[in-house]
Amino acid sequence: MMKNAGRDVGGAPDIAVRQLSVWYNQMPALQNINLYLGAGQVMAIIGPSGCGKSTFLRVLNRMIERLPSVRVEGAVRIGHFDVFDDHVDVTGLRRAVGMVFQHPNPFPMTIFDNVAYGPRIFGIKSSAQLRKTVEDSLKQASLWDEVRGKMRRNAETLSGGQQQRLCIARALAVHPEVLLLDEPTASLDPVSSAKIEELIVQFKSHYTMIIVTHNLQQAARVSDVVAFFEQGRLIEMGYTQDIFTAPKEKRTEEFLTGRFD
Amino acid sequence: MITRGSQRGKMLKPTAQGRVGHFMLAGIALLTLTLLLSVIIPLIVQGAPWLNLAFVFRRPQELGSGGVGPEIVNTVVMVGITQFISLPLALLNAIYRVEYDHGSQFARWFDPGLQILLSLPTMIIGLIVVDVAIAHWHWPVSVGSGIVALSIINWPFSIALMVQVLRQIPDSWREASWALGASRWQTIIRLILPVAGADIIEQTGVAVARLMGETAALIYTAGLNVGKKFSLTAPGETLAVHLWYVRTEGLTAHADQEAAATGLVLLILVLMVLWGSQKMAQWMKA
Repeated sequence: MMKNAGRDVGGAPDIAVRQLSVWYNQMPALQNINLYLGAGQVMAIIGPSGCGKSTFLRVLNRMIERLPSVRVEGAVRIGHFDVFDDHVDVTGLRRAVGMVFQHPNPFPMTIFDNVAYGPRIFGIKSSAQLRKTVEDSLKQASLWDEVRGKMRRNAETLSGGQQQRLCIARALAVHPEVLLLDEPTASLDPVSSAKIEELIVQFKSHYTMIIVTHNLQQAARVSDVVAFFEQGRLIEMGYTQDIFTAPKEKRTEEFLTGRFD
Repeated sequence: MITRGSQRGKMLKPTAQGRVGHFMLAGIALLTLTLLLSVIIPLIVQGAPWLNLAFVFRRPQELGSGGVGPEIVNTVVMVGITQFISLPLALLNAIYRVEYDHGSQFARWFDPGLQILLSLPTMIIGLIVVDVAIAHWHWPVSVGSGIVALSIINWPFSIALMVQVLRQIPDSWREASWALGASRWQTIIRLILPVAGADIIEQTGVAVARLMGETAALIYTAGLNVGKKFSLTAPGETLAVHLWYVRTEGLTAHADQEAAATGLVLLILVLMVLWGSQKMAQWMKA
């Protein structure tokens, strides 16, 4: 469906979802989702609350399995990971598919330890190597200039926007190829939100990204493709410009123009 | 209070109901404080004149006179070993309860089971130890039997405290750790325990303070007297048991003062434990 337009996408993988359905107990949360996202592209998922956006995101890195009595059907492929395969390396999958949450959730540790957490989990002990990874990740997340020399401060002393960029740096420190962003600016002020958006635009083509957002302007600004979900179904998906200027489905148009019940 | 004296602006006051509510709650707080002081002040008045270094270090004598030196040692050692045995077990139980997904059946039996163990009178646990360890296995009435009784008492109590500590850790931190690729066990070792460490120490202080005041389970297991030298197999009267004994069976003229002085020593020990564990927790959090 969506082809990557010949950009340098490094190691970023593509994502293919086939006939995906998810149930919580007997309640369907997602029904028969089919979509393809090209390597290095940014997809924005929009839709009303409870439409299955967050569920979809949490299927991709199998965070969903933490919830009791969840059943899945269909197939999800991220690069070479067959996500639902019983023998898939979940640790490797989660390492490759980074996640940023709606509320900044830095660990109650120093700034350094927050970013070094992932690399340490994966067995990096050399302090020189850790320092380099932490510095690189913070630079990538545009936080380095604000926190250099304050590595030993507790992360909770940072502002909300800084905390969210720290969480992005923490995710980047394990060198993911995909980034899942679950309403990453929903709890931030406009200036902090703008900084996060800038990052997403900078990351384009280095990472394949999926961002769930309630902010339609944000979706328009950062994404290559937009998917509109309603009641667990994928109603429409297309290039961002096409969706916002000429949606094919009536429901999409109603949602975008605010005439939605 | 920028406007004070300038006559500009006005003070915003709580409503009449708000003030009544405030005074009622303050009154109840004052009542509680009065009750606490009505216990502590007579204790100090009666016990303080009797409290001196000889009392703290000397051995007790017949009929409840003499010092409380061995009782202090017994209390500290028995409670210490008890924590050493039961706290790691309780922590593992609590970790399994909070950090792992288990079938719904497990929680359905675990939580009420824990409540039942918690509400069991400690006297019953003492009698079980008497029936099994002392009557059946012929263990002596001793420090060792007392430690077994205290460990059984402390185990569920510490599980409840540790479950509370672990539940205070927001799930969003666990999610962040899992999303980075950490396994459950790595999350426990690298995130949960370091983050919970200070609270674990503070709550252990609470458990220690509670055990120091335990009497019913120790009367028949650790006994009412002390060995010539400290030993796991020698009788091990604790401060709280000594206090109970002197108060009920003491036949000396100064039994009440000795009991009050023993109570003061126990109170000071408890305050030291609570203060120390809190300071240590604060230091760890900083």
